[in-house]
Amino acid sequence: MLKVFKYTLIDLARNRFVLGYALLMFLVAQGLFVMEGDPTKALLSLVQVVMALVPLVALIFTVVYMYDTLEFTQLLAVQPMGRKSILGGQLLALAVALLIAQGLGLGLPLMVHSPDLSSLILSVSGSALVLVFAALGALIALKQREKARGVGVALVIWFVFVLLYDALLMWGMFTFSDYPIEPWVVPFAGLNPVDLARIMVMLQVDLAAMMGYSGAIYKNFFSSTGGMLVAGTIMLLWIAVPVLLALRVFQRKDL
Amino acid sequence: MAKARITYHGVGKRYGRLWALRSVDLEFNAGEVVMLIGPNASGKTTLIKCLLGLVRPTEGHIAVNGQVIGTDPAYRTDIGYMPQISQFPATLTIGQLLEMMADIRKLGSDEREDSLVEELGLTAQLDKRLSTLSGGTKQKVSAVLALRTRPDILVMDEPTAGLDPVSARRVLDRAVGLRDAGGTVLITSHLMEEVEAMADRVAYLEDGVLKFLLPVQEILESTGSSRLSQALPRLLEADTCTMSYDS
Repeated sequence: MLKVFKYTLIDLARNRFVLGYALLMFLVAQGLFVMEGDPTKALLSLVQVVMALVPLVALIFTVVYMYDTLEFTQLLAVQPMGRKSILGGQLLALAVALLIAQGLGLGLPLMVHSPDLSSLILSVSGSALVLVFAALGALIALKQREKARGVGVALVIWFVFVLLYDALLMWGMFTFSDYPIEPWVVPFAGLNPVDLARIMVMLQVDLAAMMGYSGAIYKNFFSSTGGMLVAGTIMLLWIAVPVLLALRVFQRKDL
Repeated sequence: MAKARITYHGVGKRYGRLWALRSVDLEFNAGEVVMLIGPNASGKTTLIKCLLGLVRPTEGHIAVNGQVIGTDPAYRTDIGYMPQISQFPATLTIGQLLEMMADIRKLGSDEREDSLVEELGLTAQLDKRLSTLSGGTKQKVSAVLALRTRPDILVMDEPTAGLDPVSARRVLDRAVGLRDAGGTVLITSHLMEEVEAMADRVAYLEDGVLKFLLPVQEILESTGSSRLSQALPRLLEADTCTMSYDS
């Protein structure tokens, strides 16, 4: 697995998309901090960008990379090496490449302009989103035979997690506001990794009040140690389950 | 009697409702070149992929050196594979790719057949990125990867497609050399001249069914033809093509 990881990472280190992603994140983060005088406001804007952009980039890049390297994956699969090692090495390299790109593009401006716990939480949440959506991207690429269809599914997933899910949750909260729905709000928000990441950062920046009714509910739950543990566990599951499913699918897949 | 290196026992493969391969029983021996021929979508590639472990048979099983192949990838140590289309990681160089594959196979420098790199004119291009190579050069790289381990089993899918005549000859000569050293060489090709020149036996597949697996000489003699390109249509028209699969 480490050999596949090593050479895939060498390949990805010179990949234009990865370099472009690092540059884009850097320009956006640096631009927001420079243009916005208040680092907290800049951070708030950056949160919105990260929550939308990171899942999209991780999903699409992973899906496209997996399709583009399919013939080479076949060549690897006829070597005396298990399939788990092949996919494990490739996924690890993809994740590391994207994390390094994000670390340089997002982490550096955060360290320079806002070196505090909120920035750390944003970096960690962003990294978790990279891992979650890279894992989902791999699963999509393995389940769909055609590249166009795979990219389409990835876009739908991004749309659901980043836009539709929140809209439905808001609609539900307003529609059933006369009922005691508080116990349901937290689990439903927590099921979406993007919401989960956003909530964690917002609470850290202490902007839960801006999130209104739901913010109070989130604060009650997630600011506790137990709540943090639950949030971390859900995030880990969002990474582990797609990875395990992808390994399982790849193990049985006709290449 | 020739020693069977690869044995297919009732191997079938179904994709959805379509059977790409049906109940194939055959043996490939040590020290022979077998050409797999047949129309497009006849099952040649699926037959090969089942052996390589890229595709799981829906029914039946395959044995290599008497061992039924399963999930253990160790048997592939003895296999070299040259695919029809070669796509490699874009930004790696030829040298890095060769190093990677040697790494994966844990090949020492004395265990590699690197003279083909020189023979195919790749030495001066080792630092070139794979994305900048022409299709023909990628095929040469692919040939080097398949042959440099001196495999007991060599599988080549349309190996000369895209290669210049000189390189094609050199690659095929290497394949024949492997056969002479006791290796088993399986080649798919649409070019009858290639088949005739180097094959010991010819396997013909159609609609996923193995129609025959016969020595070249026997095909020519039984049809009274001097060329395979003439003999095969005659053979297929004749009822006698429900023949034995023995060599």
